[in-house]
Amino acid sequence: MESALNAIFEVLSFGAIIVLVVLGLGIIASMMGIFNFAHGEFVLLGAYITYLVYHLGLPVWAGMLAAPIGVAACGFVLERLVIRRFYAAPIVAMLGTYAMGLAIREGVRVLIGGLYISIPEPIVGSLVIGGVHLAKWRLAIIVITILVMVGSYLLLTRTSFGLRVRAALENPALARASGISTSAMYAVTFTFGAALAGLAGALVVPVFSLFADLGIRFLIQGFLAVMLGGIGTFEGPVAGGAVIGVMSAALPWAVAPVLADVLVFVIAIAFVKFRPGDLIAGRRV
Amino acid sequence: MDKGMGDRGATTMMDRRQLLRSAAWMSGAIATGVGSWLIRPKWASAAGPIKVGIATDLTGAIGYAGNANANVAKMVVKDINNAGGILGRPLELFIEDTASNESIAVANVRKLIQRDKVDVVLGGITSSMRNAIKDVIVTRGKTLYIYPQLYEGRECTPYIFCTGPTPAQQCDEFIPWLMKNGGKRFALPSANYVWPHVLNEYARKIIEKGGGEVIFEEYYPLDQVEYSATVNKIMSNNVDVVFNTVIPPGVGPFFKQLSEAGFGKRGGRLACVYYDENTLNINAPYEIEGLASCLDYFRAMTKDDPVSAKIQAEYDKEFPGKILFAAGSAATGMYRGLKLWEVAVKEAGKLDRNAVAAALDHAKIADGPGGPAEIVPGKRHCKMKMYTAVAKNGNYEIVARSEGLVDPKEC
Repeated sequence: MESALNAIFEVLSFGAIIVLVVLGLGIIASMMGIFNFAHGEFVLLGAYITYLVYHLGLPVWAGMLAAPIGVAACGFVLERLVIRRFYAAPIVAMLGTYAMGLAIREGVRVLIGGLYISIPEPIVGSLVIGGVHLAKWRLAIIVITILVMVGSYLLLTRTSFGLRVRAALENPALARASGISTSAMYAVTFTFGAALAGLAGALVVPVFSLFADLGIRFLIQGFLAVMLGGIGTFEGPVAGGAVIGVMSAALPWAVAPVLADVLVFVIAIAFVKFRPGDLIAGRRV
Repeated sequence: MDKGMGDRGATTMMDRRQLLRSAAWMSGAIATGVGSWLIRPKWASAAGPIKVGIATDLTGAIGYAGNANANVAKMVVKDINNAGGILGRPLELFIEDTASNESIAVANVRKLIQRDKVDVVLGGITSSMRNAIKDVIVTRGKTLYIYPQLYEGRECTPYIFCTGPTPAQQCDEFIPWLMKNGGKRFALPSANYVWPHVLNEYARKIIEKGGGEVIFEEYYPLDQVEYSATVNKIMSNNVDVVFNTVIPPGVGPFFKQLSEAGFGKRGGRLACVYYDENTLNINAPYEIEGLASCLDYFRAMTKDDPVSAKIQAEYDKEFPGKILFAAGSAATGMYRGLKLWEVAVKEAGKLDRNAVAAALDHAKIADGPGGPAEIVPGKRHCKMKMYTAVAKNGNYEIVARSEGLVDPKEC
């Protein structure tokens, strides 16, 4: 029983981490039609900024606040300089973002000397409830993920800003004719997605430690999640992220870990094959 | 059916299949890099310089280790040149980047052999790297090769000399120590590649010989970062010693989850034989308090070994910063390899491969990091002293030393 509860908590917390990482990726993919191959590196950048601020002697949580802002600024600059040239050619955009990601990754590698650096959690320790150890920081990640998810959903579906973002995606010509600057909308959306990546990086870095390849693993899982969930909706990639995260954490409890790793991909691909629509059928946001 | 909601008209939106198709070839994209460095001696001789080739991972995932190797080579070669070179000739250092990538490495190492015509090659850190470049160097290149990293053993190719610790050197004294200072119930969580598989095979033998028990031996994908299932197995089976061969990036989250589950608090012992001063920073000190490692050198020994202290001080003076002189990343093996080779060339009196290999077969040095070292005749592996250290509050403390030089028991 204890072990089952422990398992559920650990699996949920890893699911939350993947959802957090996928959120920004999904929003950019869904609202802009760009698959951002630099997303993993935005996550890394968020982690790096957290480390920098912490390294300056400030508390970790200050770094976690600075990370989304810093990565958003970086995302904005990159959107204006690079990404906006690629809206007409999504495949070229993939290459472009991949190149940006490579530059960021190798840059960070040089800055941290290729090492692995430990960053402490702002909340240390675990809650022990009836023999079950719940790491406080993992619990905090689950809560923050839910808040950010709900917040982003409301922003995109319930505000006039969200309406304009969706208008710019659905029918750019009509949106422009209605006085919406699609170019500004894209810039804001990309910046928002980057900020979410930065936040994800800041929150997960105490769990995984800081290293240059932090983003790569998440990029593959994020890509799988977006494929599984389908693009075009807000819920799709998020649900995909939850499924991938929960599967990758839960399968090793049941089968050999090396097999579990492959099984996640096999199940995801099989799912896409037999259900080529979205994971959650229905209307788009 | 409301067509308007789903129809994207002339927008640039891709559907999932298109995305999949176009992304498929993206995954094949590989970063390439070219890097060669030549460090000329300050003086010359009529016979020309002796050419030393270093092939190591200056960039890529294990760049921190490769750069330490290159630094050590620069330092040792400079010292040899300042002391008059070898056979009256100065050493010229050729450094080639193997980029943590075997296919790039083969091309770059070929440059060392064919273009630069070096007299010896030292380098390679991972076993897969050694296997990729050894043929280029030894078989087709007809050149001597010295491999400096701790590894799984079984490299018995002629003309390849190994100067890092083998499983016997890392287990024979360490595992009995663990049984005495941890317990008899072992878990062997491991990354799924050659080194952990072969090392575990040896470790299991020593554990069972000493009356211990392997509760489980399990392999994980190299980039796995979530270990809750493993941690649960360790906790619910009352494992005493976790003999870990999970590597970065997984090892950090794994140790953290173990610590969160209370493994250390209930008296469990962590053990990891590649843990050195570099890897110490992956976790917060309290998460790995009591972690035991067994290597040929720890910085902690500079306190009572003047030779190690001198080498460490010289390195720190020349290369201050983040690239550390550490045993787990082959830096000590590189030092030993170059010094043993120097002795061998002096004895052979020429650079002919067979003559140098014959002299290297019984070469000895009295002063190296961690103590003296000597090649076991006919085995092409190195006898050396081994040390067991325990992490205490973010630093190592030496808790056991081998009596004399430990035999590699290879080939």
